[in-house]
Amino acid sequence: MHTVARFLLAVWTFGMGLGGALAQTGVCPARPASNSVVKNPLDLAATNGVLKVDLTLRSRQMMELPLKVCYVYEASSGPVEAPTLRLNPGDQLQLDLTNRLSYARPHTRPVTPSPTPHDPCAGGVMATTSTNIDFHGLDIPPDCHQGEVSATTIEITDPAFEYKFQIPEDHPPGMYWYHPHRQGSATLQLNGGASGVLIVGGMEKAKPEVADLPERILVVRQTFDEDDPESWPPGESLLSLNFQPARYPHLPSPVIRMKPGATEFWRVANATSQAFLALQVVFGDTAQKVKLIALDGVPVARSFESRSIELPPGGRAEFIVTGPAAGQAARLLQTEFETGRTGSENPPQELAKIVATSDAQEPPALPVGPSRAAKPGWADRATVVRNLYFAEAANGTNGPTRFFLTVEGQTPKLFDPHGPPAVITKVGAVEDWIIANHSGEVHAFHMHGIHFLFLQVNGKKLLNPELRDTVTVPAWEGSGPYPTVKLRMDFRDPRTAGTIVFHCDTLHHAEAGMMAKIQVNP
Amino acid sequence: MGRALTPAAAALAMLAIAALAADTSVQGHFLVANDDTATVFPPSTVSFYAIAADGTLGGPTRVSTNGNGIAGGYFGAVRVFVAPQGPDVCVYASNAQSENIAGIDARTRKLAGVFRGSRADNRLARNGIGLATGGGRLYATFSGSGNIGGFQIQPGCTLQFVGDVHAQGLNGGLAEGMALHGNMMVVAYGDGSIESFDISGGMPVSNGDAQYSTGSQDDHVPDAVDITRDGHYAIFGGGSTAAAVQISDISSGRLTPTVVYGLGTAWNSGSVRLSPDERVLYVSNSSGGRVTAAFFDKNTGKVRQGCTSSPLKGFYTKFTYIGGVATERATGMGGLLYVPELGTVGRSYIGVLRFAATGTGCTLTEAANSPVAGSPASGLLSIEVYPPRPF
Repeated sequence: MHTVARFLLAVWTFGMGLGGALAQTGVCPARPASNSVVKNPLDLAATNGVLKVDLTLRSRQMMELPLKVCYVYEASSGPVEAPTLRLNPGDQLQLDLTNRLSYARPHTRPVTPSPTPHDPCAGGVMATTSTNIDFHGLDIPPDCHQGEVSATTIEITDPAFEYKFQIPEDHPPGMYWYHPHRQGSATLQLNGGASGVLIVGGMEKAKPEVADLPERILVVRQTFDEDDPESWPPGESLLSLNFQPARYPHLPSPVIRMKPGATEFWRVANATSQAFLALQVVFGDTAQKVKLIALDGVPVARSFESRSIELPPGGRAEFIVTGPAAGQAARLLQTEFETGRTGSENPPQELAKIVATSDAQEPPALPVGPSRAAKPGWADRATVVRNLYFAEAANGTNGPTRFFLTVEGQTPKLFDPHGPPAVITKVGAVEDWIIANHSGEVHAFHMHGIHFLFLQVNGKKLLNPELRDTVTVPAWEGSGPYPTVKLRMDFRDPRTAGTIVFHCDTLHHAEAGMMAKIQVNP
Repeated sequence: MGRALTPAAAALAMLAIAALAADTSVQGHFLVANDDTATVFPPSTVSFYAIAADGTLGGPTRVSTNGNGIAGGYFGAVRVFVAPQGPDVCVYASNAQSENIAGIDARTRKLAGVFRGSRADNRLARNGIGLATGGGRLYATFSGSGNIGGFQIQPGCTLQFVGDVHAQGLNGGLAEGMALHGNMMVVAYGDGSIESFDISGGMPVSNGDAQYSTGSQDDHVPDAVDITRDGHYAIFGGGSTAAAVQISDISSGRLTPTVVYGLGTAWNSGSVRLSPDERVLYVSNSSGGRVTAAFFDKNTGKVRQGCTSSPLKGFYTKFTYIGGVATERATGMGGLLYVPELGTVGRSYIGVLRFAATGTGCTLTEAANSPVAGSPASGLLSIEVYPPRPF
C-alpha cells in the first residue's frame, strides 16, 4: 500500500504594485513575520518506494506593504509552506498538478484556454496562466510527464496532469528543487513563491560526517516587481528566507536559533529568479569557515572549508555550520555579488540573524536514507568541443532587450520551443562546451537532465572540478577577451536520449529567448 | 576722404557691432546636450558647449528645462533637437519624467516654456520622448502613451500642441527612432517592425506599409532611423549582438523590405547618422562603447564595411552606454565626431573622435583630450550640433 500524501497546494499570489500606500486586496493568509524563527518546510516523504502528491496551483492578487507582493501556499486543511519532497534513489514520484491560476499579468493578452480536450504534452497557449514543473537538476529523462519543460503546457481548464518518474537507482544524494518552467509565465510564478525543495536521500552514506546532524532546509526566494508598469525606478530585489522577508534594516531579520556551538547540516537552495548569491556565515564581522558537502545536489569529491559560497540562480549548496557561542552576534549574509555593468541590482542583504541559546529547538536530524549512495563519476576526456555564447541586443538602457544563447557560427535566434535543436549529438558522446559571455552582465548556465563537470573559468583550470547543473558565466567588461567557462557534458547514459534544453537560469533571460535545445540521439 | 563719425553715430555703430558679435556668438557654432537628469531637484538641464575652431568644446552653460528626464531609455530616440525656425534658433529637449518638452531660445539661452501633449501622453515616458522636426512642426514619440504627438512651432520657440495618434508596431512595440523627410515620417518600433507615415496634413497618417524588417528575423531589431537628403533611402540602426544596419528604399513614398548590412563584431547599432556629404554612416555601438563608420553609396543605398574604433576611454569604468553621434561640421564628412557617454556614477561625458579615410578603408581614433566632462548626471544619450546638417 502506498501512503498517499494528498495536498491541495494553492501556490502564490501576486500583487500589482502601484507604489505608495495601497491597501491589501483579496485574502492573504498570515505569513511568518520577518523576525519569526526560521523553520523547515513541511516534509512529504516517500513510503514503500512511492511519493504521491496532489498539488493545485492557484493565484490571488494581493498587496502586503511594503513588499508590493505577497505569496502563500494553502492546503485544504490550512496554510502550508512549500513542502519538501523526499525520495530515495529508486523511489517513484507521482505528482498530480492541477492548474487553477486566475491572476494574469497586466497588459497581457486575454487568456483563451485551448478548446478541450487539450493535450498538455503538445504545448499550448503561452499565457501567464499556463504552467508546468521543472524538477531542477534531477537526472531524469527529458520526456513529457518527466523532465520535459519546453513544450509541456498545463492550462487552467486541464484536468490534473500527472508527473510520474523514478529517481534513478544510481542518482547521487542531494538537494534539488521544483518550480514552474513555462516560457511566458515562469518568472512571474516563481517570484510569486511557486517553488519547493526535493531531496534525494542518502547524503550520510556519501558524506558520513553529516549523519545525525540537525538538518536545516533554507530556501532563498525572490520577488521582483519587474512587471509593475507604475514602478520606477525598477522594483527592488527582495529576498526571503523560507518565505520570511529578509529586508534588514527596513524589517527585522529572520531568526535562526541554534544551540551554542552546535553543528548543523545546512541545505540551501537559491530559488530566486535572478539573484546571484554569495553566502557567508558571519560572527561579529568575521566570515566563518563552513564545510562544503555538496553542490547542485551532488556530493563534492572531497569536502573542503570555505568562507563564502557563491550560488547562481537555481544553484544549491549543502554545508556543515558550527554555530556561535551563546550571546555572540552572528548572521547569515548575502554579500554583494557583482553582476556586471548592465546587470541587475544584486545588493548585499542580511538573510538571517543567528541566535545561539541553550533552549533553542534544533531542527530534526538528517533522515536516514538508503543503505548506500551512488558515487558519481566523470569522463576523462571529451570527443567533441563546442563553443557557445551568451549575448544581448538592447534597444535602450531600459530595454527592450533580446537575449541569445547561440552556438558559435550559427545565427543568433531567440528560443523557439518548436524550432530545431541548436546541437545534435548522440548517446555516448562526451563533449567539452566552452561558453562565452558577450554581454555586460553575468549569466547562469543551466543544463537540464544531466550534471556537467565544471572544469575552467577564463581558461584557468579549477582546483576542484565538481559536477554542477548551474554555473555563473562572468560578465564581459567591454573590452578584452570574452569571459568563458569550460564544462564537460557527458551523454554516455542512455537515459539522456531525447531533446534537452539548456539556458540562462536568470529566468527572465531564459523566457526572453536565452535558451536552446540539444537533441541526443539514441 | 571719409568723414569722422559723430559721437551719436559712433555709439550706434558700436551697438550694432556689439549686437552682431552677440548674434555671432549665439548662433555661431555650438553643441547642445540633453542632460536628461532624473532627480527631481534640481531640474534637468540642457547644456550648451561652444565649439572652437579646432573642435574643442568650451563651457558649458546650462539652461534649466524646468522638468526632469529619465536618465536613459531608447538609444534610437533623439532627445534634443536644434531647429532653425525663421529668425529663431530653437532647441527642444524632452523631459521624459515630466512628460513634456522644453523649448529653449538658443539666442537668449532662455527657456521659452514647457509643452505637453494630450492628457493621454501624461504618463511616465520611462524610455524617453523622441523628437524630430521639419516643416515648422515638431513630432514627439511618447514612450509612456505610445503616441506620436504633433506640435506647431510658434515664434519664440514655443510649441502649440496639435494632436496625437497612437502608433504601435506589429508586435506591440512602441515608436523608438523617428526621422522626417518632406511629407514622410519613418518610424522604428523596437519589436522588429517599421512603418512610414504621411505628414502632409500635419498629423501622421500611416502609409499602410508596416512590416517586419528583414533583420528582425535574426537579431537585428530596428531602433534608430536616418533618411538620405533626397529621401531615397531610410537607414535603420538597432539592437543587435553585432553591428549592423538596414536600408529600405523609400523613393516610392513607402517602405520596401530592408536589406541588412553587417558591419563587424561591435555590439549594437543603437544610433545611426549620415555624414553631411552622405558618404559615411556613423554608427554608435550603444552597448559596446565603440563607434563604427561605414561607407554609404547614396545612389545605390549600398553599405560597405569601414572601420570601428577601440572601446572609448572610460567605457565600463566611467560610462556604460553611448548615444547618437553628432558631427562637428555641417559639411563634408563632418569633421570631428562627438559621442554622448552615459555615465555610471552621477556624471556623463562627451567622447571626441577623429575619422580619417585611408584609401578604401578608414580609421576612427579617439582624440587625446577625450572625453570631455559632460552632463552633471548619468543620463546623457542625446547631443546635437548647430549649425545642423542640411537635411
